[in-house]
Amino acid sequence: MEREVIEADLVLPTHLGFKKIQMYEKYPKGQARGRHRKHLKQIIQAENYQNYPPDVPNYINIESPPSMHPCKKICDITGFAAPYYDPRTNLRYANAEVFKAIRSLPNDYVQRYLALRNAAVVLR
Amino acid sequence: MPFISKIQRQTDYSRFPSSHPIVIDNGGSYFRIGWAGEANPRVIFRNIVQRPRHKITGETVTIVGDHDLALLKYFDCTRSGPRSAFDSNVVYQFEIMEYILDFGFNRLGADGSQIDHPVLITECACNPVQSRSKMAELLFESYGVPSVAFGVDAAFSYKYNQQRGLCDKDGLAVCSGFSTSHVIPFVNGEPVYEACCRTNVGGYHVTDYLKQLLSLKYPNHISRLTWEKVEDLKMEHCYIAPDYASEVRLFQKGAKEAKEKTRCWQLPWTPSPALEPPSEEEIARKAALKEKQGQRLREMAEAKRSSKINELENESKNLEFLLLQLRHVPENEVPSFLSKTGYVSKQEIESAFTKTTQSLRKYKGELENEEKADLSAAEKYTLINIPDNMLTPEQVKEKKRQLFLKTTSEGRQRAKQKRFEEDLERERQNKQDEEKRLENPELYLGQLRAKHRELSEKVEQRKRLKTNGGHSNGNNVSGGVGRGERLNAAQRERMRLLTTAAFDRGKGEDTFGYKDEDWQLYKLMSKDNEDDDEGPDEDEAELARISSRLRDIDPTFVFRSEAGPSETSHLRPLTKEDFQIVLSVERFRCPEIIFNPNLIGIDQAGLDEMAGVSIRRLPAVCQSLDERMTNSILMMGGNCLFPGMAERLEAGIRMIRPCGTLIRVMGASDPILDAWRGAAAYAAAMQFPQQTFSKVDYYEKGEDWLRQYQLRYTY
Repeated sequence: MEREVIEADLVLPTHLGFKKIQMYEKYPKGQARGRHRKHLKQIIQAENYQNYPPDVPNYINIESPPSMHPCKKICDITGFAAPYYDPRTNLRYANAEVFKAIRSLPNDYVQRYLALRNAAVVLR
Repeated sequence: MPFISKIQRQTDYSRFPSSHPIVIDNGGSYFRIGWAGEANPRVIFRNIVQRPRHKITGETVTIVGDHDLALLKYFDCTRSGPRSAFDSNVVYQFEIMEYILDFGFNRLGADGSQIDHPVLITECACNPVQSRSKMAELLFESYGVPSVAFGVDAAFSYKYNQQRGLCDKDGLAVCSGFSTSHVIPFVNGEPVYEACCRTNVGGYHVTDYLKQLLSLKYPNHISRLTWEKVEDLKMEHCYIAPDYASEVRLFQKGAKEAKEKTRCWQLPWTPSPALEPPSEEEIARKAALKEKQGQRLREMAEAKRSSKINELENESKNLEFLLLQLRHVPENEVPSFLSKTGYVSKQEIESAFTKTTQSLRKYKGELENEEKADLSAAEKYTLINIPDNMLTPEQVKEKKRQLFLKTTSEGRQRAKQKRFEEDLERERQNKQDEEKRLENPELYLGQLRAKHRELSEKVEQRKRLKTNGGHSNGNNVSGGVGRGERLNAAQRERMRLLTTAAFDRGKGEDTFGYKDEDWQLYKLMSKDNEDDDEGPDEDEAELARISSRLRDIDPTFVFRSEAGPSETSHLRPLTKEDFQIVLSVERFRCPEIIFNPNLIGIDQAGLDEMAGVSIRRLPAVCQSLDERMTNSILMMGGNCLFPGMAERLEAGIRMIRPCGTLIRVMGASDPILDAWRGAAAYAAAMQFPQQTFSKVDYYEKGEDWLRQYQLRYTY
């Protein structure tokens, strides 16, 4: 290790005195890839919230409902108010110059703009 | 950088008795750890872990938190991005959590064989039991902690501010964090979780939105727009507009206020050294060099030609001599004579002779066209005009051969004629061009330049479309476009056609193929495949022609054959403006998503609406309080530090509450550290030990009990 790295104390030491079981004892063959790590969706599924009374608050209950206000349409590229949308690419635009810019965009830029709005075509 | 990580190793660990609790605020962005009863956490660092490999030794090390980039150069960080233990405010990766806790305790100065202090750790509201139990297990098993308590960070912050007198015991806590935002109502000082409301929009989403917008607008500065840098930009420049629509109209009109609100980030840039027009001597020297080279080449060509001529002359002389000899040789000795020379028959010698004389004449530069014409005329087409039935079979064959020869030579002549005519035509056009040029040089030049520009743009565009323009900026863009980037243009076109065909069919039934016209789709597809490669060639040829013309007549023309993908004009060198990143509308467009998650496609209520939802969800007994609820609304969490947030929140809530209700919105005294401070104050109180649970409790009472375990915040 270089001297300045040691001085800066950058790296986590492998043996820590206050731990009862060290990391390298837990994972003798190097870092466990942890394929059994559960993501949030799986955790929530495993919780089985439908078995419990619905008025007890749990992680799902307290989520916000969809918005009651009408959706505000803004231009995908400039951010101005956008009353129009381009049927070919599905992007919203504010005026004719922005429209010209949209039509000259390569396809992956179009998809990325749409992905910002979660409106991209997902091919899986 | 407004947030500074404090990671000095603390030295006074042993000063604290075993009963003194350690307080941990386990947040999505930062991890704060310290002792109960103190005013500030001892150790603060970013809640991420990297596992790079050391470049020289090759071992994999663990680095927790964000560190000085200069030191990281010893490590190969390409394969190890920073990883967080959280998946939207719930801890799910406990190995990473273990690394973080290791580091936190280590910097706190922990020694001894186990952590002998009770620990108070924060979690999200209504944390799933699995996450909670795993965390408890981790603390008990690996660290030997005697007792543990879990609390909600927003509640601690609210209590702390309540004790300071900033808010009442009935009110709303609006907590906007790194990955989520919560609104929690408080009644009598206790949080009411039934009415709590959560939207999955936080500081991370704002930064990500800003990063995407800037990357799309400035694709050639992508390498500069790292996530950390964009976060800095966000913290420094973003604000919340009191009304989005009117603010944006200001910018659309181009009003003076809009220009004042525009901020510009100048990237470091060095002007490229200007190519001075070569001086007189340079030109003269270059011309002389070229002349010399040309001369040398010409001499070499001359020498070659003369040597070839000599050779041919010798050859023809030999053959002539042979023929002469042949005439003098008596008949019966012809074969033996011929075998000596190597030729089989007299005709062969004669044909060889004619060939060499011809090539000699060509090298001497005489016209050969007439020769060929004569030759073709000399071909005996005698048999063609005689009808078939009068000829013998060999003669018929002969006739066919002659016919074939005649047609081919005629075709050749016709082609020659056409070429001649084309040449004439081109000559004529050139002459016209010249005239046009001479009479009005400026206009002509301008026209030519314009044509050149158009053509080069078209060629550039086609090249751009062909190549994979997909830059993936650092963090992966949402999976939707991931696969599209790996396909080339033709395949993408194909995909697009197929998906549009699929989408056009609506109404749940797939009727593709019932009509014959549907199958024309496939014709379009393969046409696209071929079209791409042949189209540009004519354009490119035209472009080359025009550029050569321009080079001849225009002394200032510089042809840039491969300009960068985003340069709009190919004839202008890069200026200072190209290296500026302008933040105008993005400044308030990005934080707008907190109030309007629809802008990024998240279909949930914004922050102001959430307050209304939360009040609505209050159980019936508390309904009478809802007028007082809005009287003390506390904003906390790092994501609410945007200027203009309080006014916007107030205006938003006023819109949805009955007219005339009292609305008072205030920010917490320190939105970021208040949660930890509240937790520390709570842990220092006398009643704290009753709220914790120990390892024995945990294993005896089991998961169900843990599910219902909630901290009581009032005492």
